[in-house]
Amino acid sequence: MPGRRILITGIASYLGTELARILEADSRVEYVAGLDTRPPGEHLERTQLIVADIRDPEISGLIPPTEVDTVVHNQIVRRPGPGMSARRAHDINVIGSLQLLAACERTPTLRSIVVRGSAGIYGSEPAAPQFFTEEMAHLYPLRTRFQRDVGEIENLFGTYARRHPDVVCTMLRYQHSIGPTVKTEITRYLSLPVVPTYLGFDPRLQLVHERDALEALVAAVHQPVPGPVNVAAPGTIGLTRMVRLAGRPTLPIPSPLFGTAAEAGKRVGALDFSPDFQRLLRYGRGIDVSRLVGEIGFSPRHTTVSAVQDFVAARAEPVAA
Amino acid sequence: MTEPGVTTDPDGPIPIRSALRFLRALRGGLDGGQSLSSSLTGAALVLPREARESLDAVGRRLSGGYDEDDWGYDEGFADAALPFLEFMYDRWWRVHAEGVERVNAHGRALLVANHAGIVPWDATMMGVALMREHPLPRPPRFLVLNWAFQLPYISVAMRKLGGVPASPFNAIRLLEQEELVAVFPEGVKGAGKSYRDRYRVQRFGRGGFVEIALRTGAPIVPVAVVGSEEIHPKIGESGLLARLTGAPYFPITPTFPLLGPLGVVPLPSRWRIEFCDPIDLSEYGPDAAANRATVLEISDRVRDVIQGKVYENLVKRRHAFA
Repeated sequence: MPGRRILITGIASYLGTELARILEADSRVEYVAGLDTRPPGEHLERTQLIVADIRDPEISGLIPPTEVDTVVHNQIVRRPGPGMSARRAHDINVIGSLQLLAACERTPTLRSIVVRGSAGIYGSEPAAPQFFTEEMAHLYPLRTRFQRDVGEIENLFGTYARRHPDVVCTMLRYQHSIGPTVKTEITRYLSLPVVPTYLGFDPRLQLVHERDALEALVAAVHQPVPGPVNVAAPGTIGLTRMVRLAGRPTLPIPSPLFGTAAEAGKRVGALDFSPDFQRLLRYGRGIDVSRLVGEIGFSPRHTTVSAVQDFVAARAEPVAA
Repeated sequence: MTEPGVTTDPDGPIPIRSALRFLRALRGGLDGGQSLSSSLTGAALVLPREARESLDAVGRRLSGGYDEDDWGYDEGFADAALPFLEFMYDRWWRVHAEGVERVNAHGRALLVANHAGIVPWDATMMGVALMREHPLPRPPRFLVLNWAFQLPYISVAMRKLGGVPASPFNAIRLLEQEELVAVFPEGVKGAGKSYRDRYRVQRFGRGGFVEIALRTGAPIVPVAVVGSEEIHPKIGESGLLARLTGAPYFPITPTFPLLGPLGVVPLPSRWRIEFCDPIDLSEYGPDAAANRATVLEISDRVRDVIQGKVYENLVKRRHAFA
């Protein structure tokens, strides 16, 4: 059996680079390619870099010659970083996915697509099922821009999968990751000197440890299953407990004022909460991971609580050293 | 004969001197740049043993050292709330519980009860009855009107005591985890019952609870609660205030909203809770959940049992407030 040939989009991100590193070391993998607008910060041994913008139609000429059998789509902007407009994030998410799929159509060697999507599609609702399963994505309207982006991405890949029955399309729905290295909305939130919360709310949150997030991606590459699959650590944690474990003082804000306070914080550059994140801080979200464990065959090593503890321990170390 | 409840505490009540010593030590810790939780723990060392232990517990909670299960049930919180709930059970409502032993000690079961009021006092009292009078006590989970989960504080307290948003997905998952689940199928119709209609058990929705029991093979234990429908005698409602607060309805009682927060204090009626014989549905099989006729028929049967037992217990109770 010939070795696997894999292309990773968004290779310059932490998860993209680490995934390439793991696949490089895997003897079953013959070839790794990485697409991004900039090279990764760290050196990769045998990954072929394709420097191109995923929104650019030229990728339809660049991807087919690599003759990959698997595409890992890891370039979905969860939250526009500093200097990135919401409009550009939306373009990368939707137009990027569209161009990538156009390139996939011209790659006859393709057998599977693994998308690192988001559990944000379920939203954060006060009276929701406490553990969303994969078929519950459309119980509530998509309320935020990011949710609509994810909805559109899922539709694009869903349609592609229906038209190409020979290509297995796995849509991984990730909860927020946490860990010593990653930078996510959660880790930024827990690094604030004072943590704003909704007065009188203590939602259940569910996260995933960065290593588990990565290994789930590896597992899906080796065992792709059709359709959506939730990715999260087992178990949940109350927001208050998480903030206390992180040893941060809280600033409870009454809910009618929270949006205004977040807006003011954004203006002075102190914080930047996306609408999705604000809803998460109020109502939380839990998802069911039995499909990940049962069908992809991957059991996360960290629970939500131990993932938070690992993050906190890594924070504490530099002080002790 | 000596009263078992009265024992002499070797340390006695905390004297003023040790309270002052404690405050001084706490202040010292905080001024020394320690966090509140570690200062509390440090300062507690100067206190008598019992006070020290309870402060230790507070300190542990403040640094996140407590457990919540996947559903957000917080055993430490529930334990701390128990003395208050027991006061409500013993003194305020003088609850008399019957047939607690009919609830299975192991495995799944669906407790179905009549209901009144937004705050699920009836659910918490059923919980106390099970925790205190069942030979193998275990806390029930209860499904709560969804609206409560939009409210600050109330949503947190519900969740920590075992409340779960009333979604069939949640109920099925809990039963599959072999939990005891309490539901109130009257829903908003029950919660918004006026005083005139008290103890007239309303229509049981669309029989969703029967579908859940059939699908999971859980026995249904009908529960009749008497007393809960007098604690907030609703004499009217305000459509305007309901729209403004986003509530499903806005009750007006003789004390609420007239007396403000005092008005939410429930009246001290006398309560009886009867757990009836479980109804085993295993003969129908899970496929019967799709059969409308069967579902509605079982739903009516359960409703009739509860209504009958409610009337029976009303007669046994005699006076509502005596």
